[in-house]
Amino acid sequence: MSEARETRLFMISPRSMLTPDQLVRMVHAFGEGALVKETCYGCLVEGPRDLVLRIRDKVREDYRNEVFTKIRAYPCSDPRRCRAQHGTRPGFAQLEEEWALLAKVQHGLDQVDKGAKYVAPAEKKRISVNDFKKICEVE
Amino acid sequence: MTIKIAQLSCGTEYSSIQYEIEKAARSVGAKIVYPDVSASDIDEAVKRFGFTPRSAQLKLMIARAVRLADGKYDADAVFITTCFRCAEAALVRNELRRFIQENTRLPVVTYSFTERLKASQLLTRMEALVTIVTRKELLSRERQTGITVGLDSGSSTTKAVVMENNKIIGKDWTPSGDVVASATTVLENALKMAGIEMKQVEAIGTTGYGRFTLGEHFHAKLVQEELTVNSKGAVWLADRQRGEATIIDIGGMDNKAITVRDGVPDNFTMGGICAGASGRFLEMTSKRLKIDVTQLGALADKGDWRNAKMNSYCSVFGIQDLVTTLGEGKRFEDVAAAACHSVAEQVYEQQLQEIDVRHPIIQVGGTSLISGLVTAIGEILGEAPIVPPDSQYIGAVGGALLSSGFL
Amino acid sequence: MKVFIDPPNSLVLFDLVERFGHEPLSTMAAIQERVDNIEVDMPPMNVTLDDVVRGLKYAGVEVPSGVRGRLAMWGPLIEEADAAIVMDDCPYSFGCVGCERSNLMVKYLLKRRGIPVLHVSYPEDDAQAVSFVAQTKEFLEGLR
Repeated sequence: MSEARETRLFMISPRSMLTPDQLVRMVHAFGEGALVKETCYGCLVEGPRDLVLRIRDKVREDYRNEVFTKIRAYPCSDPRRCRAQHGTRPGFAQLEEEWALLAKVQHGLDQVDKGAKYVAPAEKKRISVNDFKKICEVE
Repeated sequence: MTIKIAQLSCGTEYSSIQYEIEKAARSVGAKIVYPDVSASDIDEAVKRFGFTPRSAQLKLMIARAVRLADGKYDADAVFITTCFRCAEAALVRNELRRFIQENTRLPVVTYSFTERLKASQLLTRMEALVTIVTRKELLSRERQTGITVGLDSGSSTTKAVVMENNKIIGKDWTPSGDVVASATTVLENALKMAGIEMKQVEAIGTTGYGRFTLGEHFHAKLVQEELTVNSKGAVWLADRQRGEATIIDIGGMDNKAITVRDGVPDNFTMGGICAGASGRFLEMTSKRLKIDVTQLGALADKGDWRNAKMNSYCSVFGIQDLVTTLGEGKRFEDVAAAACHSVAEQVYEQQLQEIDVRHPIIQVGGTSLISGLVTAIGEILGEAPIVPPDSQYIGAVGGALLSSGFL
Repeated sequence: MKVFIDPPNSLVLFDLVERFGHEPLSTMAAIQERVDNIEVDMPPMNVTLDDVVRGLKYAGVEVPSGVRGRLAMWGPLIEEADAAIVMDDCPYSFGCVGCERSNLMVKYLLKRRGIPVLHVSYPEDDAQAVSFVAQTKEFLEGLR
């Protein structure tokens, strides 16, 4: 498994000051020899799994809550999923939506790092018919 | 020139058929493309369209259709396809087809697939989309010139027509056997009737299942799928070359419903998942009634379908119904009428729901000679279809007419 | 532990599961397994007819092929999972998770497995996001 190809998508939170260009230069500077491809939201990194995970951990050291990652099924520039071939793939719109959400998740992670705890929201219940009737009568 | 067919779909990749769709498109010189949309376009498009499906992929389909309607994405034709048996997708598929037709002049074809779909099943449809785009000028041809021949190699019968200066001067048909031998026979007979020698023929057009084999054998100038060729033949025979019409062609193996604008198809459905409701079912019925299929129509006209229950959705169940009905001692007339009614009902339920019927309705193909079937279609649609003379020769006439465009 | 994420292609959930020390089970891995198989040439995803037929394990033949194909991909992941995180009411659920019927079935299959499942709400603002991250972290840390 560790030798298997891993292609990983690195996405920068919109709240971060980091640019895709800076991220790519940083990954190159690690000197790990992985394939790095700049994208509009961050970059793609491809190589043996061990190496890609090392890069992920190093990125996290500097930009702990600003860069998010997931694996990608297809290798970089795979014609089966290349935008230039067919137009956007079905998951493109989802990535756009998730990118917008990263700003909030970054904030959430920062606060949790500072000790914020989960507080269950008050359950919303429908008012009883009798209570509703009373409100109507008052009005 | 590569023709761009915009695909609006749900479920193709997970049904393992996306490759087959692309293969079919490639084989006719087309390419499948997906109109680009961004996340922010989707909600707006769905709101504008007014139908909010629960499934996100259907929302994406809507957004892509809106993009095409707004002319923001460049495509030549549209292929709308979703999983067979999905109700939500079926609603969206049909409404999007209507939306595209109301807002663009792009030819559209819809299809509901199962995981068993193979590229060959889509070939004729894809080819027709490409023909409509690339042969606009040829398809707008309204008069036949010179001496030309049309050969239609169908699943049940093979037909030949010889035309000279916009008139049919020779014709013949025979049940299909060996593709080339059947065509050679009907061609020789048609030429004899016309009093013409083969060497006088200036161009040949072939269509139908055997079109490629015949095209090669007879050095045809035109080798074209039956959807566009039959449409041309139908509007020429019915003298409805201008304006709109719906062409219903109940064939030996599959049924076609085509809407045309000035003789050029802009939407069509063909076949379906089951071939039960076709001319083949009427043939099987005739056999069981021990009459020739040509006598079935007149027999049906004397009967009342309400007296015999029959359903031709599937040919196996249809024959079961037939056997049961005859076993109950029903009159042959009523059984013949019920068989015709059942086929008409299936065409209505399966094909005509996927197109918007335009008037007049022109019924063609060999089955249009079965009067009981024409009556049944008229009854179900509330409008008697036009059956032009020589209505079984649409493919051959279309072939002769269009091939004269190469002179 | 192996944690199934739903939506199974979510970047946010994949990242958080890894971040808090577990292995996410995602669509991406399932598709990678297929696209890397050089013996199959069924682009784009190399989902084959056999896959769709395998989907019959989860849904009958009267169920659309797209649903069965999806379940054939996610079913084995659900069977493999030790726990799951489900984000309810996602506004983003395109592409892989485009079919609502399949998504309902995934949630049901998780329930039937009887493994710990955390249902989180899609955060609409910063405060909800804090709650979402904290809740996810507590759940994942509790799995150890």
